[in-house]
Amino acid sequence: MRLILLPFLVLIACIAVAQQNPTPAPKQDKSVLIMNATAHLGNGQVIDNAVIGFDQGRITLVADARTVRIDMSKYTTVLEASGMHVYPGFIATNSTLGLHEIDAVRAQDDLSEVGTFKPGVRSAIAYNTDSEITPTVRSNGILMGQIVPRGGIISGTSSVMQFDAWNWEDALVREDDGIHLNWPEVVHRHRDKNKVNIERVKTYDQQRREISIFFNEARIYCSSPVRIEVELRYEALRGLFNGNRTLYVHAGHIQAIREALTFKQEFGIQKMVIVGGYDAHLAAPELIAANVAVMLPRVHSLPLYEGDDIDLPFRLPALLFKAGVKFCLQNEGDMERMGLRNLPFHAGTAVAYGLPYEEAVRSITLAPAEILGISHRCGSLEVGKDATLFISRGDALDMRTNALIYAFIQGRSLDLRSKQTELYDKYKRKYRESK
Amino acid sequence: MNRIPHLIILLLACLPAWTLAQETYPFNGIRPKEVTALAFINATLWVDADTRMDGATLLLERGRVLAAGIGVAIPAHAVVVDAGGKWIYPSFIDLFSDYGMPRTPSADRAFSPNPQMESNRKGAFGWNQAIRSDIRAAALYEPQPEAARELRGIGIGSVLTHLMDGIARGSAAVVTTGEQAATALLRPDAAAVYSFNKGSSAQQYPSSLMGSIALLRQTYYDAAWYLSAGRSSERNLALEGWSGLQTLPQIFDAGDKWNALRADRIGDEFGVQYIIRGGGNEYQRLNEIRATGASFILPLDFPEAWNVRDPYSARLVSLGELKHWELAPTNARRLHEAGVKFSFTSSGLADRKQFLSALRKVKETGLAESEILRALTQVPASMVGMQNELGALRAGYVANFFVSSGNILEPGSVILDHYIQGELHEVNTAPQPSIAGEYAFMSGGQASVLSVKGEPGNYFSSLLTILPDMGEQQPDDSPASADSIRRKVNIEHHGSQVTLVVEADSAARFSRWRLSGGITEGRISGQGQDASGEWLVWEAIRTATAPPAQKKSPTAAVSRDEGEVTYPFTPFGSAVTPEEETVHIIHATLWTNEKDGIIPDGEIILHQGKIAAVGKGLSTAAYPFIRVIDAQGRHVTPGIIDEHSHIALNSVNEGSQASSAEVQEATVIDPEDIDIYRQLAGGVTAAQLLHGSSNPIGGQSALVKMRWGATDRGMLIHGADGFIKFALGENVKQSNWGDFNRTRFPQTRMGVEQVYYDHFHRAREYGNAWKAWSAVQSSGRKKSATAVSPAPRRDLELDALLEILERKRFVTCHSYQQGEINMLMHVADSMGFRINTFTHILEGYKVADKMKAHGAGGSSFSDWWAYKVEVKDAIPHNGALMWENGITVAFNSDDAEMARRLNQEAAKAVKYGGVPEEEALKFVTLNPARLLHLDDRMGSLKAGKDADVVMWTDHPLSVYARAEMTFVDGIRYYDASRDMELRAALVAERARLIEKMLRAQEGGSAGREPAMKNKRYFHCDSLGDR
Repeated sequence: MRLILLPFLVLIACIAVAQQNPTPAPKQDKSVLIMNATAHLGNGQVIDNAVIGFDQGRITLVADARTVRIDMSKYTTVLEASGMHVYPGFIATNSTLGLHEIDAVRAQDDLSEVGTFKPGVRSAIAYNTDSEITPTVRSNGILMGQIVPRGGIISGTSSVMQFDAWNWEDALVREDDGIHLNWPEVVHRHRDKNKVNIERVKTYDQQRREISIFFNEARIYCSSPVRIEVELRYEALRGLFNGNRTLYVHAGHIQAIREALTFKQEFGIQKMVIVGGYDAHLAAPELIAANVAVMLPRVHSLPLYEGDDIDLPFRLPALLFKAGVKFCLQNEGDMERMGLRNLPFHAGTAVAYGLPYEEAVRSITLAPAEILGISHRCGSLEVGKDATLFISRGDALDMRTNALIYAFIQGRSLDLRSKQTELYDKYKRKYRESK
Repeated sequence: MNRIPHLIILLLACLPAWTLAQETYPFNGIRPKEVTALAFINATLWVDADTRMDGATLLLERGRVLAAGIGVAIPAHAVVVDAGGKWIYPSFIDLFSDYGMPRTPSADRAFSPNPQMESNRKGAFGWNQAIRSDIRAAALYEPQPEAARELRGIGIGSVLTHLMDGIARGSAAVVTTGEQAATALLRPDAAAVYSFNKGSSAQQYPSSLMGSIALLRQTYYDAAWYLSAGRSSERNLALEGWSGLQTLPQIFDAGDKWNALRADRIGDEFGVQYIIRGGGNEYQRLNEIRATGASFILPLDFPEAWNVRDPYSARLVSLGELKHWELAPTNARRLHEAGVKFSFTSSGLADRKQFLSALRKVKETGLAESEILRALTQVPASMVGMQNELGALRAGYVANFFVSSGNILEPGSVILDHYIQGELHEVNTAPQPSIAGEYAFMSGGQASVLSVKGEPGNYFSSLLTILPDMGEQQPDDSPASADSIRRKVNIEHHGSQVTLVVEADSAARFSRWRLSGGITEGRISGQGQDASGEWLVWEAIRTATAPPAQKKSPTAAVSRDEGEVTYPFTPFGSAVTPEEETVHIIHATLWTNEKDGIIPDGEIILHQGKIAAVGKGLSTAAYPFIRVIDAQGRHVTPGIIDEHSHIALNSVNEGSQASSAEVQEATVIDPEDIDIYRQLAGGVTAAQLLHGSSNPIGGQSALVKMRWGATDRGMLIHGADGFIKFALGENVKQSNWGDFNRTRFPQTRMGVEQVYYDHFHRAREYGNAWKAWSAVQSSGRKKSATAVSPAPRRDLELDALLEILERKRFVTCHSYQQGEINMLMHVADSMGFRINTFTHILEGYKVADKMKAHGAGGSSFSDWWAYKVEVKDAIPHNGALMWENGITVAFNSDDAEMARRLNQEAAKAVKYGGVPEEEALKFVTLNPARLLHLDDRMGSLKAGKDADVVMWTDHPLSVYARAEMTFVDGIRYYDASRDMELRAALVAERARLIEKMLRAQEGGSAGREPAMKNKRYFHCDSLGDR
């Protein structure tokens, strides 16, 4: 078998182009067969010696090489990948990639709009396909993500974008997938003389009421057949009441999670997801009963309370898995965009602390795809789905072995270089030449 | 000799004759004279804390005690007061007070958003606004009647007062709680007071605890220089004040156990023994507190219980706070048992009225009554050198004492009168005798039973009338039946008079009666009117007295049901710290970082804190007591060393000036930071705790080992070289600090270079001045003793910089962009020293060849970038590129979370840039050891090196590897299985404390709302204190 260096051949000509983001790949025009890799399907299954074929951007074959007969003539490119691993493209959720570039530069900051209730604010149109961070993220296997506005009580509407596009329209995987509600803090930081304390929020009940009032009015507005004036904020919530959109409730404290579940029932919200959910493991039965999934807090984070088990954030995925709660991982927090490339290693740490390996893969592939409502097209290696996948020389959840050689989005072969690899090459040459 | 009842003395005492005369003051009216003495007889008299006399006499005149004891002859001119049944105590003394001071000014930092670089005291008071040694409390003192009354009400007759503002606060004065300034001011300059808190000063420096410490140290040196030489060139009233106060008792307001140790170390350096105002948590470090040799002024502000009814909210209350709630009242007892001398202060109490009840709580913990009294009287008196005037009731002492209804340390006793310098101040009126009991009530020939329950001011009473034709009397509590009538009675009782309102019964057989009567022993009688206005005569004769109300008595037995003090006083602490052991690890994959490389199925022996042997087939014959650990499938590596950390610190930046070379992170270590334990669980055994990056020349590093449970000093690596933080780039230019921070030099990279040259030239000249002086000294000494010239001014900042020039202190420089990295190497080259380490060094890959030529190492992040403009060119291959160019490369954390996964960060050098795995592991072990000059002791598995060793469950660079055991100095500070035990112990201890708290709250208030102290996670640019 041959290992054909298709993308590299195409791209060698571009090397001289100085520090530009890589050019988005053209539409898939050749059929590709990946042979003999270990395929982690994303749905919890693994095929040790797999054949995976795709054409016209869609997966056409997923099978065990030892049990399937392959018509090689159907494929123009064959990639021999024995000893390597294939994964569905990893999916970032609750991300701000493309909404901000360099933290300290205000001019690049498109994270948070002014106001408290602003569901109409849409991340999709602000998503910057030319961010220099994105190529560094996808080269570790994260090929798409849910881009989420921040701030206020309702921060706005998120969309799911893929990470190789000329413009935001091209990047859209699912436009306006849901509304983000930051549940009022149950406890907050509070300055008392010289000490900063964390204690219960005194205005919690009032904020809780404001949300109810807002949703109540929106529901009446959306169900009213007569319309005289357009209220953009309520229009944006329409999808929540008819089940077209998901309500993402950002809540960490147990009380907030429980109240969010009550709220779901009160307003007949069909699809709800808890984002954050540090305490979600304490509300497992309620979450299961309400069919509400959780986007867990960053695995690589410190315990919230001094007396918490020192490995609690590492162990939360395993805890939810054992309890039977649907969950996926996400990376909100300090340096969340430039650190997003470490998402696979968060899944790896979850494995070290008790989550079965294929479940860890699932937590950044099919699980987020299901939660985001895109699992009919993405999230697993299954015939008919988008050919959004990658090949890594080794285990992609371990930084020691994560090494992508090919990545495809909808069958298009990505240029895996970035500004960073170009700077690396540039200075490698400098030192080589001076020696 | 006349005997006057107690009540009458009140009237007499109000006359001016009883006040202490202010000789020089004119008098408006006929000048009264003090011509009588005052004698209390039959008193239970506490002459001092050890001497209680029953039936004693206290005789005083003109504000002083004339005599006290049994059989004192009472002179003819004495007014005699029968104090039978009363207790008399010497007044309490509170040494930490701002009574009589003007309101402490609040900081004026709110008025301007611009940083205040200079002192706002524009006179000749020196450069720093927080050094206020010229302030004299005596000159500020004015009696404050309200506050004085409050103090007298809790037994306090004199205080040491000072203006609580600033780091050096000037002198404190002893005043009584009397109300005439001239007589109340007993001693104007009785002590000098210091703190770590700059108070109202909004001047930038110092902006941190370590800055305060450095400022105090520098001021001691400045004061000495000022006396010997400085005075001839400049006047400084604050320093003059400072010097003048040095012979007085020196009091330090520490307010916390660690701050007490910090203060004491300053004192040790300058031969001063402070009296320390504590924080109430000294019991948590008893041995170290005792070792200070200091005596303490202890607050009694015991924490209030929390509302822990909601199990989720209760999580906000940390274990340490729960434990402190339980143990705080035992602080004094434990200090006493440890032999530490202390007094008490009422300061810090949210409500000063809690003082007496707090003292009673202390007694409940088992501290002897005499010790409590001593801490309130003789001890504070002797602390300010007034033990012959205050704190006891002996001839010649100031007549400060109070009269109480009983033992003041028992619940229910109240202070009745307080005499300050012989002058009476009423505190409480004597409680009225109770009239509770059962009475035979007669009126109009009809007998009834009057029952009175409750206590004065709160009686519940009823009148039961048995109708004449009925049989036996009903029991007292039975409901009114057809043959008896029970009527409710309201009682008002004033002195010897009572008013009863007997309500009509429901059947209206009796109308409402309004009765008035007088009390004589056991009998109340008088007249009254019924509803129709008819007068009636009544009489009630007591047949039984009510039993005294059963009060919940928590004093019944001294309870020692107390939790253990753990080290540290946090979750995962232990009462007994783990000890060094001899360990033989077998069947391990050993990553030696030595020429042996990786040894499969290897062995290692740890003994007496060192690695005794590494290899295969090791003999253990020399070690009779050895613990064998089978590490089948496990990997053993040297402990991880974090070259750049900010955990376990109270402050990181003293960024108020372009250089803060004088500040020392070692002075602000917080050994109770939970992240120490968390990082042990990530295999970290040592770290450099660095100053931040807010100024070009930062402060001195602390090199520590993760000795969980040790003290701040105990964490330091003994004999390590000195390091100092420098910084370049946006932080030192204050680029991201907002538009108001445009004042401090430098604001450009150009200015940064000038800062360095300016400081190093000055340091060199400073060194030369000392050399020249030493030369003159040694030659002068030979010739004649008179040739001694004053020494140059000792400057702590220039000392540190001179050490750099002399290659005795080494620079770790925060750096990003290649241009300024290059610049600093030029500065160093031209001044004759070497930059030891560039930290962060994200553009190191651009100047790796220059770094190599200069000899600098690089300690970097594996993959951080894009958080600031200066890191937009950072690449994760940086470590590999520098390493390929022969530079000693480390990966560091600068982050409390990432630090516990540094092995994973090392793996990224394999991923980005293809560094071999053995070399990559050195990025977090041997290489940081080299950069910190500790590689002769740490960083590899080699016989003779420190037994700082980690056992991993998997390949140490793998994301799947968990540290299973972490040894520091051969002590197993982290063990995954022991961690499980500690978790269980934590759950049990919290449950016990919460149960106890709920029990204590039964029938009382719900307790305060749970709150958690917010933990600040420090990074390079974190300002202020934790």
